[in-house]
Amino acid sequence: MASEISTIKSVRVDALVAMRIVKHATGAYPTTVYGSLLGMEVDGVLQITNAFPFPTSTDDDSSSSALTPKNKGVMWYENEMIKCLREVNVDANNVGWYQSSTLGNFINSNFIENQAHYQSKINERTIALVYDSMRGAQGGMALKAYRLTPQFVVAYKENKFTSDNLQKHGLTYKDILQELPLTLYNSHLATSLLHQLSIPQPAPAVLPVSISSLTNPPTYPQLSQPLSTNFNALDLTIDPVLEKSCDLLLEAIDGHNTEANNAAYYQRSLAREQTKISNWQQKRKAENAVRVAQKLAPLPEDDWQKIFKLPQEPSRLDALLISRQVEQYARQVDGLTATSSAKLFALNGGIPRF
Amino acid sequence: MDRESFIHLTKPATVGAITTSPLQVVVCAQALFAILDHSLRRSPDQERVIGTLLGVRSEDGSEIEIRNCFAVGHNESQEQVEVDMDYHKQMYNLHLKANPKEVLVGWYATSPELNTFSALIQNFYASNGDGTYPYPAVHLTVSSNPGKDITCRTYISSSVGVTPDRAADSCLFVPVPYEIKYAETERNALESLSMGRASLERQVNNIVDIHSLEVGIDELLDLLNRVSFYVSQVVSDDALPSVAIGQTLLNSLSLAPKIEASELEKLFNTHLQDVLLVSYLANTIRTQIDLSNKLASATGITLPAQSQKTDHKRQRERD
Repeated sequence: MASEISTIKSVRVDALVAMRIVKHATGAYPTTVYGSLLGMEVDGVLQITNAFPFPTSTDDDSSSSALTPKNKGVMWYENEMIKCLREVNVDANNVGWYQSSTLGNFINSNFIENQAHYQSKINERTIALVYDSMRGAQGGMALKAYRLTPQFVVAYKENKFTSDNLQKHGLTYKDILQELPLTLYNSHLATSLLHQLSIPQPAPAVLPVSISSLTNPPTYPQLSQPLSTNFNALDLTIDPVLEKSCDLLLEAIDGHNTEANNAAYYQRSLAREQTKISNWQQKRKAENAVRVAQKLAPLPEDDWQKIFKLPQEPSRLDALLISRQVEQYARQVDGLTATSSAKLFALNGGIPRF
Repeated sequence: MDRESFIHLTKPATVGAITTSPLQVVVCAQALFAILDHSLRRSPDQERVIGTLLGVRSEDGSEIEIRNCFAVGHNESQEQVEVDMDYHKQMYNLHLKANPKEVLVGWYATSPELNTFSALIQNFYASNGDGTYPYPAVHLTVSSNPGKDITCRTYISSSVGVTPDRAADSCLFVPVPYEIKYAETERNALESLSMGRASLERQVNNIVDIHSLEVGIDELLDLLNRVSFYVSQVVSDDALPSVAIGQTLLNSLSLAPKIEASELEKLFNTHLQDVLLVSYLANTIRTQIDLSNKLASATGITLPAQSQKTDHKRQRERD
């Protein structure tokens, strides 16, 4: 059963799970929240049928930053919850975890660690769902499914992110995460409920008598409002979101520069050490030539390894992650401008000219 | 959904009795989805399944918002009912850890029927100690019969019975009004979900931004058509005119900005150029990052000045 190559081809998210994640993420916005996903895999499709949030604080651990799936208290909570849910016929298999994010700012070492933890310890076939609270508020469903690629998992296990190693695995920043196609799924009952929710209200029997009765309809007795399209997607002022995305993009580029500078520093000090070594080797060679001429035993020529220490190559993981993050932001900005320009053209065509 | 009238009679307060004051119940869509999911997962021999409702109570207790719920196992036979109370307590504690604000407010059942067992369970949930006392416990029934509408009902209870013995296993269910509510983001999510409601597979694929834009525009066109249909009907004397509607329409129309054509052209062009520039720069950055990484893996050297150039350009553009 435990084949090394994952067979998940796509992810199917139940309406319940989508609603739970949205509620959890929105309720705690802008804090990042985490939770667990339950479900099962059927013919390459990972069906996620239930989800529950992780606690916001655990009794036995007071460190605030540790409330991620790797935390001991959280793991205990997860196991307890799954044990309980099993009794009421829920698909009690842990198939991954979810987290909220703001404008796609989730690619960091924390995310990688968590997902690596899931993919190595619990089950190879686990995924991470990322819900973007800010994009979600704009309209649509900003839910994405990710997992680590097999190459990356291998490299991560070796925990050596040097240039040589990366080349050996053929790993670039594009190969860290793999996005899986995601579908939303409604059960028959949920479909029925959705249909019912969107039945429009019948026209009132009496016509309104004044403007105020139109704009402020009587609030009591409150009736369930039908689910209707909201026009957030048509909002023309996307500039705040675009600006925030650009800010994040700039930040990521700064981070990239820092990493690049670190790498360059390493290169320089490596070059410096190497010149020192070759100088030393030449000196030793000359010395030996003299010693041979004097019929003395030559001194060993590979002593330099004891005298000089080559600088350690910094891990390239951060640079990779930052590159991936920059790419994520750039794509996002691209997507935002696409809808924005479409709306602009619509507006331009629609405004009457005088 | 169903529209009914509710009548509330506030009885004189008696000592120790559970209050039956007017109550407004708000149901979050998420809880309904969870209940329906539980209903799907019941054993074939179970008529109905029950669970605990969690939510938030307003300070004076007059409004209850049902935000979440969890399933509780139970066994029902002709003579007796058995609810897994330990399980309920354990789950409740687990839920409190994740969400301390959501407290016990009542219970749900997936059949519209109210029977003696309902009264027993209701009395447990409303009891002193583990229950919601001194607040009333809300009972939410959600019918889930195939082929029929999903109907919800909310009740609170008041005790009846001549002797304490009888009062323990009977109660009077008083229907209360409820409202299904969705927060803004939940609404967006529901909208995406309901895109799949008409399809045979009951699925939504490829959720992209441009989709929701399309749906929004379609909806807007529909509404405009409806309004213009009504207006033309009024003009041709087929529909009753209304001063209020006319005024509202006039007010909305006057919101369209009066602007010189050349001015508009200029504004449009500058804004569009900004947007396109941002898009162009984003793509350039992507290419540069790609290039930087390719060079880095080819030479082992990461070039520091790579993205600096676009960085500056971007800054200038934003200023």
